[in-house]
Amino acid sequence: MDILIYGTVNSIVLALIAVGFTLVYGVSRIPNFAHGALYVLVGFLTWSFINDLKINYLLAVTLSLIISALLGAIIYRWVLIRLRGMATSEIIASFAVSLIILEGLRMQGIGGFKGFIGPYYILPPFIEGKMRIVGVLIDFQRLIIIGGGLAIVLLLWIFTHHTKVGLSLRAIAQDERAALMLGIDSDRAAVIALSIGSALAGLAAVIILPLGNVTAEAGYKVLIDAIAVCIIGGLGSWAGAVLASFVLGFAMIISTALFGAVWEKVVLVGAIILILILRPSGLLGKQKELEERV
Amino acid sequence: MLEVKNLMVFYENAIAINNVNMTCKKGVITGAFGANSAGKSTLMYTISGIMLDIKKKEEMRGGERITVLGSINYDGADIINMKPSERAKKGIILCPERRRIFPESSALENLKIGGYLATKTQAKKTLEYVFTIFPSLKELQGREGGFLSGGEQQMLAIGRALMAQPKLLLLDEPLLGLSPRIEAILARTVKEINREIGITILITEQYARPIFPIIDYGYVLENGGAVLEGTAKELMENPDVKSAYFGL
Repeated sequence: MDILIYGTVNSIVLALIAVGFTLVYGVSRIPNFAHGALYVLVGFLTWSFINDLKINYLLAVTLSLIISALLGAIIYRWVLIRLRGMATSEIIASFAVSLIILEGLRMQGIGGFKGFIGPYYILPPFIEGKMRIVGVLIDFQRLIIIGGGLAIVLLLWIFTHHTKVGLSLRAIAQDERAALMLGIDSDRAAVIALSIGSALAGLAAVIILPLGNVTAEAGYKVLIDAIAVCIIGGLGSWAGAVLASFVLGFAMIISTALFGAVWEKVVLVGAIILILILRPSGLLGKQKELEERV
Repeated sequence: MLEVKNLMVFYENAIAINNVNMTCKKGVITGAFGANSAGKSTLMYTISGIMLDIKKKEEMRGGERITVLGSINYDGADIINMKPSERAKKGIILCPERRRIFPESSALENLKIGGYLATKTQAKKTLEYVFTIFPSLKELQGREGGFLSGGEQQMLAIGRALMAQPKLLLLDEPLLGLSPRIEAILARTVKEINREIGITILITEQYARPIFPIIDYGYVLENGGAVLEGTAKELMENPDVKSAYFGL
């Protein structure tokens, strides 16, 4: 029962992290390596707003999400737009942005800035307390993760299927040139995708981070998790990302329960290798099943 | 409405469009005929602006150098350097060769995506219109685009283009690979669209027979150049056209 409940929590954590990454990749074919950095940045921003500026929690979260979305748009407009179509350069550039943010957060000494190092950076949980579900002790924050994660996936589905902007994003993801012919601008779509993706990274951060403390290193871990989920699910496939986060989430929890926590990372990397050997395009990746008909 | 002047397009040093002059008058169906590699699709891509996007992508990956020279006048303004999305906003909508239906979206969703530039009332009205001219689409609206037959996909592609509220509709080889029965239905429908909502249409095709009855004016393209032009009747009486495109 432990495994079932904590596996679900872990899976939804992974899904939350990966869904923004896969949205950006699906729409604009940009692997946004700054995803993890934005995640951490939102954590620290929220902490600063609450503790340095004494803003109320909800407002602090909203503000840092807006900043994160703007940053996503800026990263595209100023950096990535110059490199569109050069896949390696896109990775290098977005990883550079990620390094600037993460190492910048840790930097000390400039203008009395102490750097975000140490165990003091803790976001308070939304609701304190724990409860028992079928005999398993679980805190409210983890329940919020389950609820919030499901709500976000549902909202994203509604957004991409029933709004004009969402439909245009899916059009670009499926066939960019055909979308261009209908008056959909690919740069605009990429900016929207990056802002939403960055805001989703931030949203994942505010929901997940109260479980532990905020560290800059988490940025790299989050990035690896997101990439692992996306590769296993099939790059750019949204349903695949959700499926893969459940597969991975449970695999990680089960291996930890059976063999110990060290095996978590082994399972993660092993799963990537396995999927690349058996099904290189991922669980739900495009297999060219729908060949065009002439 | 549309005036193409001295248009030249090069892929590296190979010439794809050679000094083409072409006019599409408002409310009229203009045809452009030619064999494979005559430059039909390049012409369509250049008029709709997709060529600029292809050019940019080729530059980014260090591929072919594409050069576009000449001018394209549309509604009194030169649009040769305008972005494809801007041109679409001005009413130039391309319905591409091989249809390029969004394979994972349902037919209805394809149409909705087509309505990106339309207002809510326009989209609703056009959707109804599309379902009246292509009743079979109404029954298939829930099916994924990739699972439609070739003819259904072509109807969907035309419907999707109509949803974008075109003033100048570019149809690139709309009859490619379809059965004679569907060819006839589509040709008739294109004429209907032109008559009922007064859209100017430029249509390219390899095989002239099914299209000839519906065009008002036509061009014959060969190796990138426009070698012949005239009204449908004039072209039909030309002995070269007769032998090359009608097999008479």
